[in-house]
Amino acid sequence: MTIAIKHIIRFFLFALIQVLVLNQIEIGWGIQLMIYPVFIMLLPVELSVFYLLLISFIFGMFIDSMSNSYGLHTSALLLFAYLRPLIFKVFAPRDGYDILLEPNIFNMGKKWFYKTFGILLLIHHFWFFLLEIFKLNEILFVTQKTILSFIFSMLLCVLVQYLFIRNSKNNAI
Amino acid sequence: MRNFLAFIQRFRVLLVFAILQGVALSIYFTFISYPRAQFFTTASNINGATLKMRNELTKHFNLSHNNQQLQKENSRLRALLKQSNYKLDNSKITINDTSYKRQYDFIPAVVINSTYDKRNNYFTLNIGSKAGIKRGMGVFSDKGVIGVVHNTSEHYAVVKSCLTENINIDVMVEKTGQFGLLKWNGKDARRGTMWGVSNDTRVKKWSKIVTRGGGGMFPPGIPIGKISKASPVEGQPLWDLTILYSEDYRRVRNVYVITNLMRTEQETLENQIDADN
Repeated sequence: MTIAIKHIIRFFLFALIQVLVLNQIEIGWGIQLMIYPVFIMLLPVELSVFYLLLISFIFGMFIDSMSNSYGLHTSALLLFAYLRPLIFKVFAPRDGYDILLEPNIFNMGKKWFYKTFGILLLIHHFWFFLLEIFKLNEILFVTQKTILSFIFSMLLCVLVQYLFIRNSKNNAI
Repeated sequence: MRNFLAFIQRFRVLLVFAILQGVALSIYFTFISYPRAQFFTTASNINGATLKMRNELTKHFNLSHNNQQLQKENSRLRALLKQSNYKLDNSKITINDTSYKRQYDFIPAVVINSTYDKRNNYFTLNIGSKAGIKRGMGVFSDKGVIGVVHNTSEHYAVVKSCLTENINIDVMVEKTGQFGLLKWNGKDARRGTMWGVSNDTRVKKWSKIVTRGGGGMFPPGIPIGKISKASPVEGQPLWDLTILYSEDYRRVRNVYVITNLMRTEQETLENQIDADN
């Protein structure tokens, strides 16, 4: 029960940070900061794919409706959620996942987190910018945006865990 | 039948994914052309209220800049007033002028949410259909054209800004009257392009671009920018004109929405042509 409440609070917190703060920061070179994929990443490991897809759909729509992007974030987030179990399976630890542990950077280790989350975030960003620009002759611009945004988003996503998720199992938010 | 069920059982995850993805993509691709899902935009009431709250917090950050701008405009307009002009001939009598009828009304508004680095950028205004805003009205600031109203709710409106790929505003070169359509290449927030000027005519660099007033969205003569580069289009007898916008869309705040009081008249007249043909 407490886990559910924790995730509901996170739902709003991440969405509001994304919409009210990060969407307003515009660095240039086509960089867009995104922190919300970390919310889907931190959902419990044993959660079924259906719930994962449903939550990411609602979450994405929530963000989309506030940033005037009409389904763009939702589409990228759905891909993220769909691929999460597959990537988790590929990089599973030798004795499987501990279903009580949250898949964050402290519980699973830096290496594991960088690998799994990095791949998922890269796919998410690439899909997002591909859809946003939607022109094959500008694929270089898409790649540039993807890679630059990916670096900054990744930094942000790691940073937010170090700042707000303390290195313990009974953490607050 | 059993095979079919087995098939669904096998691919149910992919199926759910495909359905949800389909919904998201259809919303995305249909919105650009027509705002169907008003619920999913910043024009909806809850989202509008949230953004307004943020605006209340952040509006003071640019206050001095905005005040300066408004003051500048005020002083310019004040100079046009009757009191500030010296009467040259005291024997003249003022006559109520009946040869002019007001065609445009301007409704002041504040931008409460905006982007400039996306492919299609939208602004959210703090007024909506209750203040008389309708889809298709023009929006401008003291420096130049901002965009066209795309979607409204009771208290908020979403504006398709000049930083949208197919904004298609009727524009012309002020001096020579060559006209074309305004487009945006999706990258530089300071520059747009003008499309449709034939390359057998001459184009002078740094000549002013203003609205043409076609379509009844904008009155003629509202500035947009200046021509900063002219290069020929390959394979077509047209100029590719790059326009340096006069408005900086990254910090625009106080805008006016244009109501054309004679728009219905113009539209019915123009629709008659289609009917006659």
